[in-house]
Amino acid sequence: MATWGMVFDLRRCIGCNACAVACKQENSLPDGVFFTKTLSEEVGEYPDVTRSYVPTICNHCEDAPCESACPTGATYTRPDGIVMVDRNKCIGCGTCIVACPYDQRTRLEPEMLHEGLFGGGRLTPFEEQGIGRFTVGTVVKCTFCHERVDAGQLPACVATCPTEARIFGDLDDPASRPRQLILERRGRQPLPEKNTNPRVFYID
Amino acid sequence: MIASNRIADGTFRVGVGLQKAWGVQMATAFFFGEAGAGLYFVAQFFDFVLGMVAGLVMVLVGKAGGHVLHLGQPLRGWRALTKVRTSWVSRGLAAILLFVAAGALHVIDVRSGLLPTAVSQLVAAVALAACFVIMVYQGFAMSQSSAIALWSGGLMPVASLTYALLNGVLLTLVFGFGEPFLAERPETVRLLQVLAVALMLYGLVTVLSLLHGARRASEAGRQSVAMLLQGGFARWFVPLVIGAGFVVSALMMLAAPPAFAWMLAVAGLELTGYYAFRVLVFKAGGYDPALSLAYRFRH
Repeated sequence: MATWGMVFDLRRCIGCNACAVACKQENSLPDGVFFTKTLSEEVGEYPDVTRSYVPTICNHCEDAPCESACPTGATYTRPDGIVMVDRNKCIGCGTCIVACPYDQRTRLEPEMLHEGLFGGGRLTPFEEQGIGRFTVGTVVKCTFCHERVDAGQLPACVATCPTEARIFGDLDDPASRPRQLILERRGRQPLPEKNTNPRVFYID
Repeated sequence: MIASNRIADGTFRVGVGLQKAWGVQMATAFFFGEAGAGLYFVAQFFDFVLGMVAGLVMVLVGKAGGHVLHLGQPLRGWRALTKVRTSWVSRGLAAILLFVAAGALHVIDVRSGLLPTAVSQLVAAVALAACFVIMVYQGFAMSQSSAIALWSGGLMPVASLTYALLNGVLLTLVFGFGEPFLAERPETVRLLQVLAVALMLYGLVTVLSLLHGARRASEAGRQSVAMLLQGGFARWFVPLVIGAGFVVSALMMLAAPPAFAWMLAVAGLELTGYYAFRVLVFKAGGYDPALSLAYRFRH
Protein backbone atom coordinates (compact mmCIF):
# COMPACT_ATOMS: atom_id res chain seq x y z
CA MET A 1 0.00 0.00 0.00
CA ALA A 2 1.34 3.39 -1.02
CA THR A 3 1.55 6.35 1.35
CA TRP A 4 0.70 9.37 -0.74
CA GLY A 5 2.48 12.64 -0.25
CA MET A 6 3.40 15.82 -2.09
CA VAL A 7 6.44 18.01 -2.54
CA PHE A 8 6.28 21.74 -3.32
CA ASP A 9 9.29 23.11 -5.18
CA LEU A 10 9.40 26.78 -4.16
CA ARG A 11 11.96 27.53 -6.85
CA ARG A 12 9.52 26.48 -9.54
CA CYS A 13 6.27 28.00 -8.29
CA ILE A 14 5.44 31.13 -10.27
CA GLY A 15 2.20 31.96 -8.47
CA CYS A 16 -0.03 31.48 -11.51
CA ASN A 17 -2.79 29.84 -9.39
CA ALA A 18 -3.56 27.32 -12.15
CA CYS A 19 -3.52 24.72 -9.35
CA ALA A 20 -6.27 26.55 -7.46
CA VAL A 21 -8.41 26.88 -10.59
CA ALA A 22 -7.93 23.21 -11.53
CA CYS A 23 -8.83 22.20 -7.98
CA LYS A 24 -11.99 24.29 -7.98
CA GLN A 25 -12.98 22.85 -11.33
CA GLU A 26 -12.22 19.23 -10.42
CA ASN A 27 -14.03 19.40 -7.09
CA SER A 28 -16.81 21.82 -8.15
CA LEU A 29 -15.91 24.01 -5.20
CA PRO A 30 -18.41 26.73 -4.26
CA ASP A 31 -17.50 30.39 -4.19
CA GLY A 32 -15.16 31.18 -1.31
CA VAL A 33 -13.93 27.61 -0.83
CA PHE A 34 -10.36 26.69 -1.73
CA PHE A 35 -8.69 23.35 -1.13
CA THR A 36 -5.36 24.78 -2.23
CA LYS A 37 -4.08 28.34 -2.18
CA THR A 38 -0.90 29.95 -3.42
CA LEU A 39 0.08 32.57 -0.89
CA SER A 40 2.37 35.43 -1.79
CA GLU A 41 4.68 37.68 0.13
CA GLU A 42 6.84 40.65 -0.74
CA VAL A 43 10.10 40.98 1.13
CA GLY A 44 12.64 43.80 1.14
CA GLU A 45 12.56 47.47 0.26
CA TYR A 46 12.68 49.22 -3.09
CA PRO A 47 14.69 48.61 -5.22
CA ASP A 48 15.68 45.29 -3.64
CA VAL A 49 12.28 43.60 -3.43
CA THR A 50 11.51 39.91 -3.82
CA ARG A 51 8.17 38.20 -4.14
CA SER A 52 7.83 34.66 -2.81
CA TYR A 53 5.03 32.21 -3.49
CA VAL A 54 4.00 29.52 -1.04
CA PRO A 55 1.55 26.88 -2.28
CA THR A 56 -0.53 25.45 0.56
CA ILE A 57 -2.80 22.45 0.83
CA CYS A 58 -4.07 20.00 3.44
CA ASN A 59 -0.88 18.30 4.61
CA HIS A 60 -2.56 14.91 5.27
CA CYS A 61 -0.64 14.71 8.53
CA GLU A 62 0.41 11.37 9.94
CA ASP A 63 -0.56 12.60 13.42
CA ALA A 64 -3.51 14.66 12.23
CA PRO A 65 -4.77 16.89 15.06
CA CYS A 66 -8.05 17.36 13.18
CA GLU A 67 -8.69 13.64 13.42
CA SER A 68 -8.07 13.35 17.16
CA ALA A 69 -10.05 16.53 17.90
CA CYS A 70 -13.07 15.50 15.78
CA PRO A 71 -15.82 14.43 18.22
CA THR A 72 -17.72 12.25 15.76
CA GLY A 73 -15.09 10.28 13.89
CA ALA A 74 -16.04 12.08 10.66
CA THR A 75 -12.38 12.83 10.02
CA TYR A 76 -10.41 9.68 9.36
CA THR A 77 -7.23 8.57 7.64
CA ARG A 78 -7.32 6.06 4.80
CA PRO A 79 -4.72 3.27 4.77
CA ASP A 80 -2.87 5.17 2.04
CA GLY A 81 -2.49 8.23 4.30
CA ILE A 82 -5.14 10.46 2.76
CA VAL A 83 -7.10 12.28 5.47
CA MET A 84 -10.81 12.38 4.63
CA VAL A 85 -14.04 13.85 6.01
CA ASP A 86 -17.19 11.73 6.03
CA ARG A 87 -19.91 14.28 5.29
CA ASN A 88 -22.57 11.94 6.66
CA LYS A 89 -20.93 11.98 10.09
CA CYS A 90 -19.74 15.59 10.25
CA ILE A 91 -21.83 17.81 12.55
CA GLY A 92 -20.11 21.05 11.58
CA CYS A 93 -18.83 21.90 15.06
CA GLY A 94 -15.63 23.42 13.64
CA THR A 95 -13.36 21.68 16.15
CA CYS A 96 -11.23 20.31 13.32
CA ILE A 97 -10.92 23.80 11.82
CA VAL A 98 -9.44 25.26 14.97
CA ALA A 99 -7.30 22.14 15.48
CA CYS A 100 -5.65 22.29 12.03
CA PRO A 101 -2.44 24.36 12.33
CA TYR A 102 -2.50 25.00 8.58
CA ASP A 103 -5.99 26.53 8.35
CA GLN A 104 -6.93 24.17 5.54
CA ARG A 105 -10.54 23.39 6.38
CA THR A 106 -13.74 25.21 5.52
CA ARG A 107 -17.27 24.85 6.83
CA LEU A 108 -19.87 25.06 4.07
CA GLU A 109 -22.26 27.86 4.96
CA PRO A 110 -25.71 27.92 3.31
CA GLU A 111 -24.97 31.05 1.27
CA MET A 112 -21.95 29.36 -0.30
CA LEU A 113 -24.13 26.71 -1.88
CA HIS A 114 -27.36 28.56 -2.45
CA GLU A 115 -26.47 32.09 -3.56
CA GLY A 116 -24.08 31.10 -6.31
CA LEU A 117 -21.14 33.02 -7.68
CA PHE A 118 -23.34 35.75 -9.11
CA GLY A 119 -25.66 35.97 -6.08
CA GLY A 120 -29.45 36.00 -5.93
CA GLY A 121 -29.82 32.24 -5.71
CA ARG A 122 -29.30 31.58 -9.41
CA LEU A 123 -26.69 28.89 -9.84
CA THR A 124 -24.65 28.46 -12.98
CA PRO A 125 -24.85 25.05 -14.73
CA PHE A 126 -21.39 24.30 -13.35
CA GLU A 127 -22.54 25.06 -9.81
CA GLU A 128 -25.70 23.01 -10.23
CA GLN A 129 -23.82 19.89 -11.27
CA GLY A 130 -21.45 20.23 -8.33
CA ILE A 131 -23.82 21.08 -5.52
CA GLY A 132 -24.79 17.46 -4.93
CA ARG A 133 -21.29 16.71 -3.72
CA PHE A 134 -21.70 18.88 -0.66
CA THR A 135 -23.79 19.04 2.49
CA VAL A 136 -24.51 22.41 4.06
CA GLY A 137 -22.97 22.85 7.50
CA THR A 138 -20.28 20.22 7.10
CA VAL A 139 -16.54 20.70 6.79
CA VAL A 140 -14.63 20.14 3.56
CA LYS A 141 -10.94 19.94 2.70
CA CYS A 142 -8.47 18.67 0.12
CA THR A 143 -8.56 14.91 -0.44
CA PHE A 144 -5.57 14.74 -2.79
CA CYS A 145 -8.30 14.18 -5.44
CA HIS A 146 -8.72 10.67 -4.02
CA GLU A 147 -11.02 9.56 -6.84
CA ARG A 148 -8.36 10.43 -9.41
CA VAL A 149 -5.62 8.86 -7.31
CA ASP A 150 -7.64 5.65 -6.91
CA ALA A 151 -7.96 5.57 -10.71
CA GLY A 152 -4.20 5.88 -11.12
CA GLN A 153 -4.23 9.57 -12.03
CA LEU A 154 -2.48 12.54 -10.46
CA PRO A 155 -4.38 15.08 -8.34
CA ALA A 156 -5.78 17.86 -10.53
CA CYS A 157 -3.46 20.53 -9.13
CA VAL A 158 -0.39 18.39 -9.84
CA ALA A 159 -1.52 17.47 -13.35
CA THR A 160 -2.20 21.14 -14.13
CA CYS A 161 0.87 22.83 -12.66
CA PRO A 162 2.75 24.21 -15.71
CA THR A 163 6.12 24.36 -13.95
CA GLU A 164 6.00 21.01 -12.15
CA ALA A 165 6.25 22.78 -8.85
CA ARG A 166 3.99 20.12 -7.33
CA ILE A 167 5.31 16.58 -7.22
CA PHE A 168 3.02 13.80 -6.04
CA GLY A 169 3.87 10.18 -5.28
CA ASP A 170 4.43 7.36 -2.85
CA LEU A 171 6.52 8.48 0.10
CA ASP A 172 7.20 4.87 1.07
CA ASP A 173 8.81 4.06 -2.30
CA PRO A 174 12.54 4.91 -2.23
CA ALA A 175 12.51 5.27 -6.01
CA SER A 176 9.60 7.70 -6.14
CA ARG A 177 10.33 11.25 -7.25
CA PRO A 178 8.98 13.00 -4.17
CA ARG A 179 10.99 10.72 -1.92
CA GLN A 180 14.16 11.39 -3.89
CA LEU A 181 13.57 15.14 -3.93
CA ILE A 182 12.99 15.18 -0.19
CA LEU A 183 16.28 13.37 0.38
CA GLU A 184 18.37 15.23 -2.22
CA ARG A 185 17.11 18.72 -1.47
CA ARG A 186 16.40 18.38 2.21
CA GLY A 187 12.64 18.65 2.10
CA ARG A 188 11.10 20.36 5.08
CA GLN A 189 7.68 19.97 6.58
CA PRO A 190 5.55 23.02 7.38
CA LEU A 191 5.38 24.00 11.06
CA PRO A 192 7.30 20.96 12.33
CA GLU A 193 7.00 22.32 15.87
CA LYS A 194 3.32 21.36 15.82
CA ASN A 195 4.30 17.64 15.80
CA THR A 196 1.78 16.72 13.13
CA ASN A 197 4.24 14.99 10.79
CA PRO A 198 2.80 16.32 7.50
CA ARG A 199 2.99 14.29 4.30
CA VAL A 200 3.63 17.49 2.36
CA PHE A 201 7.19 18.79 2.06
CA TYR A 202 8.74 22.01 0.79
CA ILE A 203 12.05 22.17 -1.09
CA ASP A 204 14.06 25.08 -2.34
CA MET B 1 -22.35 40.82 -8.45
CA ILE B 2 -19.20 38.78 -8.75
CA ALA B 3 -18.12 37.70 -5.30
CA SER B 4 -14.44 37.42 -6.12
CA ASN B 5 -13.61 40.73 -4.40
CA ARG B 6 -12.78 38.75 -1.26
CA ILE B 7 -9.48 37.78 -2.93
CA ALA B 8 -8.12 41.19 -2.01
CA ASP B 9 -8.63 40.79 1.75
CA GLY B 10 -5.31 39.18 2.62
CA THR B 11 -6.54 35.58 2.43
CA PHE B 12 -3.85 34.83 -0.12
CA ARG B 13 -0.98 36.46 1.72
CA VAL B 14 1.70 34.77 3.80
CA GLY B 15 1.06 35.75 7.39
CA VAL B 16 -1.00 35.20 10.49
CA GLY B 17 -4.61 34.30 9.74
CA LEU B 18 -7.45 34.74 12.21
CA GLN B 19 -9.69 31.80 13.05
CA LYS B 20 -13.34 32.31 12.19
CA ALA B 21 -14.77 28.89 12.97
CA TRP B 22 -15.69 29.64 16.58
CA GLY B 23 -17.49 32.91 17.20
CA VAL B 24 -20.12 34.52 19.39
CA GLN B 25 -22.40 31.47 19.55
CA MET B 26 -19.60 29.29 20.90
CA ALA B 27 -18.51 32.07 23.27
CA THR B 28 -22.09 32.28 24.58
CA ALA B 29 -22.22 28.52 25.05
CA PHE B 30 -18.89 28.60 26.91
CA PHE B 31 -20.14 31.51 29.04
CA PHE B 32 -23.28 29.72 30.16
CA GLY B 33 -21.37 26.47 30.66
CA GLU B 34 -18.89 27.95 33.09
CA ALA B 35 -21.40 30.26 34.78
CA GLY B 36 -24.05 27.54 35.20
CA ALA B 37 -21.68 24.77 36.27
CA GLY B 38 -19.91 27.11 38.68
CA LEU B 39 -23.21 28.16 40.24
CA TYR B 40 -24.32 24.56 40.65
CA PHE B 41 -20.95 23.58 42.12
CA VAL B 42 -21.08 26.22 44.85
CA ALA B 43 -24.83 25.86 45.44
CA GLN B 44 -24.56 22.13 46.03
CA PHE B 45 -22.20 22.73 48.94
CA PHE B 46 -24.98 24.69 50.64
CA ASP B 47 -27.85 22.46 49.42
CA PHE B 48 -29.17 25.65 47.87
CA VAL B 49 -31.91 24.35 45.58
CA LEU B 50 -32.63 27.57 43.67
CA GLY B 51 -28.94 27.92 42.80
CA MET B 52 -28.69 24.31 41.69
CA VAL B 53 -31.80 24.63 39.50
CA ALA B 54 -30.55 27.89 38.00
CA GLY B 55 -27.17 26.27 37.27
CA LEU B 56 -28.81 23.29 35.60
CA VAL B 57 -31.03 25.54 33.48
CA MET B 58 -28.07 27.69 32.42
CA VAL B 59 -26.13 24.62 31.30
CA LEU B 60 -29.08 22.92 29.65
CA VAL B 61 -30.54 25.95 27.86
CA GLY B 62 -27.64 28.37 27.55
CA LYS B 63 -24.75 26.06 26.93
CA ALA B 64 -26.45 23.26 25.05
CA GLY B 65 -28.57 25.80 23.16
CA GLY B 66 -25.53 27.83 22.14
CA HIS B 67 -23.82 24.71 20.86
CA VAL B 68 -26.89 23.61 18.90
CA LEU B 69 -27.12 27.05 17.28
CA HIS B 70 -23.46 26.83 16.34
CA LEU B 71 -23.57 23.36 14.78
CA GLY B 72 -23.79 23.10 11.01
CA GLN B 73 -25.80 19.88 11.33
CA PRO B 74 -27.52 20.07 14.74
CA LEU B 75 -29.70 16.99 14.22
CA ARG B 76 -26.56 14.87 14.12
CA GLY B 77 -25.27 16.38 17.36
CA TRP B 78 -25.58 13.07 19.19
CA ARG B 79 -22.68 11.78 17.12
CA ALA B 80 -20.39 13.98 19.19
CA LEU B 81 -20.57 11.31 21.89
CA THR B 82 -18.67 8.79 19.81
CA LYS B 83 -15.05 9.88 20.30
CA VAL B 84 -14.75 10.26 24.07
CA ARG B 85 -11.33 8.59 23.93
CA THR B 86 -9.61 11.42 22.04
CA SER B 87 -11.87 14.46 21.79
CA TRP B 88 -12.53 16.96 24.58
CA VAL B 89 -15.72 18.02 22.81
CA SER B 90 -17.00 14.45 23.16
CA ARG B 91 -15.98 14.33 26.81
CA GLY B 92 -17.73 17.62 27.41
CA LEU B 93 -20.98 16.42 25.87
CA ALA B 94 -20.88 13.24 27.96
CA ALA B 95 -20.31 15.38 31.06
CA ILE B 96 -23.23 17.67 30.19
CA LEU B 97 -25.63 14.73 29.80
CA LEU B 98 -24.41 13.13 33.02
CA PHE B 99 -24.58 16.45 34.86
CA VAL B 100 -28.12 17.25 33.78
CA ALA B 101 -29.38 13.77 34.68
CA ALA B 102 -27.56 13.43 38.00
CA GLY B 103 -28.04 17.09 38.92
CA ALA B 104 -31.80 16.98 38.32
CA LEU B 105 -32.06 13.75 40.31
CA HIS B 106 -30.08 15.30 43.15
CA VAL B 107 -32.32 18.39 43.24
CA ILE B 108 -35.43 16.17 43.39
CA ASP B 109 -33.78 14.12 46.11
CA VAL B 110 -32.90 17.21 48.18
CA ARG B 111 -36.50 18.40 48.01
CA SER B 112 -38.22 15.06 48.58
CA GLY B 113 -35.70 12.68 50.23
CA LEU B 114 -36.59 10.17 47.54
CA LEU B 115 -33.37 8.15 47.47
CA PRO B 116 -31.72 5.97 50.12
CA THR B 117 -28.71 7.65 51.77
CA ALA B 118 -26.03 5.70 49.92
CA VAL B 119 -27.64 6.24 46.50
CA SER B 120 -28.29 9.87 47.32
CA GLN B 121 -24.62 10.45 48.14
CA LEU B 122 -23.57 8.65 44.96
CA VAL B 123 -25.88 10.79 42.81
CA ALA B 124 -24.60 13.96 44.49
CA ALA B 125 -20.99 12.90 43.89
CA VAL B 126 -21.65 12.04 40.22
CA ALA B 127 -23.40 15.40 39.67
CA LEU B 128 -20.52 17.25 41.31
CA ALA B 129 -17.89 15.33 39.31
CA ALA B 130 -19.68 15.94 35.99
CA CYS B 131 -20.13 19.59 36.98
CA PHE B 132 -16.38 19.86 37.62
CA VAL B 133 -15.64 18.42 34.16
CA ILE B 134 -17.89 21.07 32.58
CA MET B 135 -16.08 23.77 34.56
CA VAL B 136 -12.72 22.73 33.19
CA TYR B 137 -13.18 20.90 29.87
CA GLN B 138 -13.74 24.00 27.75
CA GLY B 139 -10.23 25.09 28.60
CA PHE B 140 -8.91 21.69 27.57
CA ALA B 141 -10.93 21.80 24.33
CA MET B 142 -9.21 25.09 23.49
CA SER B 143 -5.73 24.14 24.65
CA GLN B 144 -5.97 20.90 22.64
CA SER B 145 -5.74 23.11 19.57
CA SER B 146 -2.00 23.53 19.11
CA ALA B 147 -2.84 25.45 15.94
CA ILE B 148 -3.75 28.63 17.82
CA ALA B 149 -1.01 29.88 20.11
CA LEU B 150 -3.31 32.08 22.17
CA TRP B 151 -5.38 29.06 23.15
CA SER B 152 -2.82 26.29 23.34
CA GLY B 153 -1.16 27.27 26.60
CA GLY B 154 -1.61 25.02 29.61
CA LEU B 155 -3.19 27.89 31.54
CA MET B 156 -6.42 27.88 29.52
CA PRO B 157 -8.01 25.09 31.63
CA VAL B 158 -6.86 26.92 34.78
CA ALA B 159 -8.52 30.09 33.50
CA SER B 160 -11.73 28.14 32.79
CA LEU B 161 -11.80 26.64 36.28
CA THR B 162 -11.03 29.97 37.95
CA TYR B 163 -13.71 31.80 36.01
CA ALA B 164 -16.25 29.04 36.68
CA LEU B 165 -15.61 29.10 40.44
CA LEU B 166 -15.69 32.89 40.49
CA ASN B 167 -18.96 32.98 38.56
CA GLY B 168 -20.37 30.37 40.92
CA VAL B 169 -19.44 32.31 44.06
CA LEU B 170 -20.82 35.61 42.76
CA LEU B 171 -24.06 34.11 41.42
CA THR B 172 -24.57 32.28 44.72
CA LEU B 173 -24.22 35.61 46.55
CA VAL B 174 -26.86 37.08 44.21
CA PHE B 175 -29.33 34.17 43.98
CA GLY B 176 -28.88 33.28 47.64
CA PHE B 177 -29.26 36.80 49.00
CA GLY B 178 -31.82 36.71 51.80
CA GLU B 179 -31.86 32.90 51.88
CA PRO B 180 -31.35 31.39 55.34
CA PHE B 181 -27.94 29.86 54.56
CA LEU B 182 -26.59 33.37 53.94
CA ALA B 183 -28.96 35.65 55.88
CA GLU B 184 -28.50 33.75 59.14
CA ARG B 185 -24.74 33.36 58.74
CA PRO B 186 -22.98 36.64 57.95
CA GLU B 187 -19.64 34.87 58.31
CA THR B 188 -20.54 32.70 55.28
CA VAL B 189 -21.26 35.83 53.23
CA ARG B 190 -17.92 37.30 54.30
CA LEU B 191 -16.14 34.03 53.45
CA LEU B 192 -17.68 33.98 49.97
CA GLN B 193 -16.73 37.63 49.46
CA VAL B 194 -13.11 36.96 50.44
CA LEU B 195 -13.11 33.89 48.18
CA ALA B 196 -14.45 35.99 45.30
CA VAL B 197 -11.71 38.61 45.73
CA ALA B 198 -9.05 35.88 45.92
CA LEU B 199 -10.41 34.28 42.74
CA MET B 200 -10.46 37.65 40.99
CA LEU B 201 -6.80 38.22 41.85
CA TYR B 202 -5.93 34.67 40.82
CA GLY B 203 -7.92 35.04 37.61
CA LEU B 204 -6.16 38.30 36.79
CA VAL B 205 -2.75 36.69 37.26
CA THR B 206 -3.85 33.67 35.21
CA VAL B 207 -5.12 35.77 32.29
CA LEU B 208 -1.99 37.94 32.27
CA SER B 209 0.23 34.85 32.44
CA LEU B 210 -1.76 33.28 29.61
CA LEU B 211 -1.17 36.36 27.46
CA HIS B 212 2.50 36.45 28.40
CA GLY B 213 2.93 32.80 27.44
CA ALA B 214 1.09 33.25 24.14
CA ARG B 215 3.21 36.27 23.24
CA ARG B 216 6.35 34.22 23.59
CA ALA B 217 4.96 31.09 21.91
CA SER B 218 4.95 32.16 18.25
CA GLU B 219 4.33 34.94 15.76
CA ALA B 220 0.58 34.27 15.82
CA GLY B 221 0.56 34.39 19.61
CA ARG B 222 2.45 37.67 19.59
CA GLN B 223 0.00 39.22 17.14
CA SER B 224 -3.02 37.88 19.03
CA VAL B 225 -1.81 39.44 22.29
CA ALA B 226 -0.99 42.70 20.49
CA MET B 227 -4.55 42.79 19.15
CA LEU B 228 -5.96 42.31 22.65
CA LEU B 229 -3.73 44.78 24.46
CA GLN B 230 -2.87 47.40 21.84
CA GLY B 231 -4.82 46.72 18.66
CA GLY B 232 -8.44 46.74 17.61
CA PHE B 233 -9.70 44.66 20.53
CA ALA B 234 -7.84 46.61 23.23
CA ARG B 235 -10.66 49.11 23.71
CA TRP B 236 -12.85 46.18 24.79
CA PHE B 237 -10.35 43.82 26.38
CA VAL B 238 -8.59 46.22 28.75
CA PRO B 239 -11.61 48.04 30.22
CA LEU B 240 -13.98 45.05 30.27
CA VAL B 241 -11.87 41.94 30.91
CA ILE B 242 -9.15 43.50 33.07
CA GLY B 243 -10.91 46.59 34.41
CA ALA B 244 -14.54 45.61 35.02
CA GLY B 245 -13.99 41.85 35.26
CA PHE B 246 -11.18 41.87 37.82
CA VAL B 247 -9.99 45.22 39.18
CA VAL B 248 -13.21 47.20 39.69
CA SER B 249 -15.25 44.19 40.76
CA ALA B 250 -12.56 43.17 43.31
CA LEU B 251 -12.42 46.69 44.77
CA MET B 252 -16.21 46.85 44.92
CA MET B 253 -16.38 43.47 46.61
CA LEU B 254 -13.83 44.53 49.23
CA ALA B 255 -15.98 47.54 50.09
CA ALA B 256 -19.29 45.74 49.68
CA PRO B 257 -22.04 46.49 52.19
CA PRO B 258 -24.61 43.70 52.76
CA ALA B 259 -26.93 44.94 50.02
CA PHE B 260 -28.46 43.02 47.14
CA ALA B 261 -27.91 45.82 44.63
CA TRP B 262 -24.22 45.86 45.46
CA MET B 263 -23.83 42.10 44.97
CA LEU B 264 -25.77 42.33 41.72
CA ALA B 265 -23.51 45.12 40.46
CA VAL B 266 -20.32 43.19 41.29
CA ALA B 267 -21.63 40.01 39.66
CA GLY B 268 -22.77 42.01 36.61
CA LEU B 269 -19.37 43.60 36.17
CA GLU B 270 -17.52 40.33 36.55
CA LEU B 271 -19.81 38.43 34.20
CA THR B 272 -19.51 41.21 31.61
CA GLY B 273 -15.73 40.93 31.81
CA TYR B 274 -15.92 37.16 31.57
CA TYR B 275 -18.18 37.23 28.50
CA ALA B 276 -15.86 39.75 26.86
CA PHE B 277 -12.93 37.44 27.61
CA ARG B 278 -14.64 34.51 25.90
CA VAL B 279 -15.64 36.50 22.80
CA LEU B 280 -12.34 38.35 22.39
CA VAL B 281 -10.11 35.33 22.95
CA PHE B 282 -12.05 33.57 20.18
CA LYS B 283 -11.83 36.55 17.86
CA ALA B 284 -8.12 37.14 18.44
CA GLY B 285 -7.08 33.49 17.93
CA GLY B 286 -4.67 33.28 15.00
CA TYR B 287 -2.86 30.63 12.97
CA ASP B 288 0.87 30.79 12.38
CA PRO B 289 2.08 31.25 8.78
CA ALA B 290 2.52 27.79 7.22
CA LEU B 291 6.20 28.28 6.50
CA SER B 292 6.92 30.84 9.19
CA LEU B 293 7.60 33.30 6.35
CA ALA B 294 8.74 31.89 3.04
CA TYR B 295 11.63 34.25 2.56
CA ARG B 296 13.28 33.18 5.79
CA PHE B 297 12.63 29.56 4.88
CA ARG B 298 14.41 30.11 1.60
CA HIS B 299 17.43 31.86 3.07
